[in-house]
Order: sequence, then structure tokens, then C-alpha cells
Amino acid sequence: MATAPTPSGEGPRWEVFKQDTPSKPHQAVGSVHAADPEHALLMARSVYARRPAAVSLWVAPAEAVFAVTAEELAAAEPWSVEEAGEERLYQVFRKTSHRRAMTFVDHVGEVSAPGPRAAVAAARQAFPEPPALAWWVVPTARLSASPDDEAAAWFEPAADKTYKQQSAYGLLAPKKPGRSKGGDR
Amino acid sequence: MSASKAQDSRLDAELQQALVARLTAMADDELILGHRDSEWTGHAPLLEEDIALANIAQDEIGHALLWLQARSELDGSDPDELAFFREVGAFRNARLVELPKGDWAFTMLRQYLFDAFETELLSRLRDSRYPPLAEAAAKAAKEEVFHLRHSGLWLERLALGTDESRSRLTSALQRIWPYLPQLWQPLPGDAALQRAGIAPNPADLEQPVMARVSAALAALGLEPPADAVPNPGGRDRHGEALVSLLVDMQSVARADPGVDAW
Repeated sequence: MATAPTPSGEGPRWEVFKQDTPSKPHQAVGSVHAADPEHALLMARSVYARRPAAVSLWVAPAEAVFAVTAEELAAAEPWSVEEAGEERLYQVFRKTSHRRAMTFVDHVGEVSAPGPRAAVAAARQAFPEPPALAWWVVPTARLSASPDDEAAAWFEPAADKTYKQQSAYGLLAPKKPGRSKGGDR
Repeated sequence: MSASKAQDSRLDAELQQALVARLTAMADDELILGHRDSEWTGHAPLLEEDIALANIAQDEIGHALLWLQARSELDGSDPDELAFFREVGAFRNARLVELPKGDWAFTMLRQYLFDAFETELLSRLRDSRYPPLAEAAAKAAKEEVFHLRHSGLWLERLALGTDESRSRLTSALQRIWPYLPQLWQPLPGDAALQRAGIAPNPADLEQPVMARVSAALAALGLEPPADAVPNPGGRDRHGEALVSLLVDMQSVARADPGVDAW
């Protein structure tokens, strides 16, 4: 993988896509620093899926993500597409709402294109509605997914860990005077 | 617990005593390892690893709670009381888990070795004829798959990373190896538990754990130290490291024993 270590030694940055339920799309939730794809997936699980809900994670090196906003597209019309590259698959993500949310773009499908700019052009044709505020395209080959056969180990334990929720703690409850929990010491 | 399950779970006095001892050893291994892992919180080499290891520490302490709750059903003991008010001489953890956290290579290697042991232990406990134990083991086993993946990933990256990471890992291997066999040292009641189909004899875990660990080390061009002398003594013997760990771990609970909430 052509990802150079950063000067701080924390490794390259990876974008993380989390799927909350099988019927929902993978959504960009943030990023992690990690040495390689497998490490990035483990870090993503620890940082973004320690509380419910999640059923799948994808990671991609941040430098493999080609991102463009609707404003940038409008300013660049006509949108030029490079033709030189070899045809390959891209996964397409888009943002369609200004609603304040913990996530950014949602996965919408895939296109085949010779390069990222052509992939954006193909995505605009393939997924015209609703109008996208921003597009992300990522070569499918640069995405790594959490292993399906270990989904139970990765995601199920979080479901019954109520102690990971702030609401599990009586943080404001006063101390009851004169009551001891102690038995024989 | 349902009435029918309580029926299945009834044990005679000898088995009950043996199981209390085994559960205490299992819980103390998890609790002390979990606390050692938690010492990295705020200090791990990467922010992401800080969160990952804090998660794993919580998982291990959660496993300790599973075993202490199972013990509680047998003898009415209070898990919090056992964790936070027991004196050092009453702890039954293996020395391996109480050793100071060391560097990242030491922490990850210890975690890997314990994960390998726990994976083999849990896979057998899931078949226990004592239902509460089988259920708790199934729950913990799910998490252990992820733990082993995480520590195994670090074992590989430390071994194949840089000269420094490999030399740190090799030093950790020399230091830890003598403490490994104590994990599968049987307690006096373990033979009876095995006969009753309640828990495996820990001695039977040596072969599968060593096979797993040796294969992983060999794949990375590493060998266990040939001249390692196993640390002698039973689970009732501890080093100074456990004393200072308990001072730290128990300080908050002991500062205000009657408190119901923070």
C-alpha cells in the first residue's frame, strides 16, 4: 500500500465508513491514524463502534478519497474528465442534506471509470436524485472491509455494555449518609 | 435465574468449593490484567490505540465481573468487595498479569499470550455442564476473537517492524516466558471439576496454547527462550508489583466505602 508514514509517527490517515444496520448505507463517520488497512479497521472498530450500533466497517486511505462539493463542480463547469487511466471500479458516496449529523457522506453505489474525475461525472449521471451537496469517490481496490465472519466478535458485544453509556452512571446522585455496602472485610 | 436452571446448577459442597477457587483465579487474572492495560489510558503511543486498549481493559474487567458474579451465586460473595477490599494475599491471579506494564511491546506480547490462553480456556468452558459457566464463557469468547486479532496484529508488526521494535519484543519474550506456565497450573480442586464436566483441567490447556503460540512466533522468525526457568510457586504467591497495583486500584473505593454514586 502506497501510504507514507507521517513525520509524527502516527501513520497515515484513513477515512472510516460505518454501517449501522444491514438496510442502511455505509456512512463516513470520521478518520483514524493507522499503519495499514488491517490496523485501520481495528482502530475504527475501537473508536467508532464501541457503542451500538454497527454491522460493518470500511476504511480507505484518506489520500485515496477524491472529494468535490457542488460549488466546486459548478465553478469548474464543464467538468473535465481524464481519459488516460485504466477503467476501474469506484465506490460512490454523497452528501444530500444540510441536516446536522455525526456523519458526512453516505454510500450510494459504484461506477466504473478511468479516473476519479470521470468517476464523479459517472456518479452524477448514475445517481442524479436527490441533488448532491458533495461527492466522494474511492477506488474499490483501496477500500478494506471488516471481516463478515467475525461480525459477532466485532460488533455484538457493544450492544449489552450499558456501562459505556454515560446514562449508566448516577453521576449526580447524592451520597446517602450512614449506609455501608461493606460486609466482612 | 429460572428455577429449572437453578436445578441444573446445584453442586455438592466439594465441587462448589473447587469452583469458587477456580472462578477466583479466572476473575483475578482478568481483573489484574485489565487494570494493567488501563494504566496505558492517556499514555498509549497512538490516540487510537489509547482508546482501543482502554476498550480491551474494560472487556477484561467485564470478564472478571462475569466470573465474580458466577462465584457470587455459589457463595453469596460481593464482587465489588472482592475486587476493592481484598488484601493482596487473598488474590489468586497468575504472576504474568501483575508484572508492571513495561513498554508497548511488553504489554502487547503479554496480552497476546493471555489472549491465546483465554481463547483455549473459553472454547472448553462453553461446553461446561454448569450452565452459568457455559453462558458466561460464550459471552466472553465473542470478545476474545477481537482481542486476539488486536494483540496478534501487534505481535506481527513489532516483530517485522523496525530493529528497535523487534529487539523490544525479543526482550519482552525473555522476560515474560518464565511466567507463562503458571497460567495452566492446576488448583487442588480442578481434577474434581474436570471429572464433573464443569471446567477443563488447566494442565490440558498447555499443549493447545503452546501449539498456537509457537506457530505464531515461528511464523515471525522468533523462538521462545530455550533456557527459561519457569517461575516457581502457586497463585497464592505475588510480587511487590501486585501490592502497588492494588493500592492504586483500590484507593478510590477504600477512600469512601459507603458511597452509592460518584
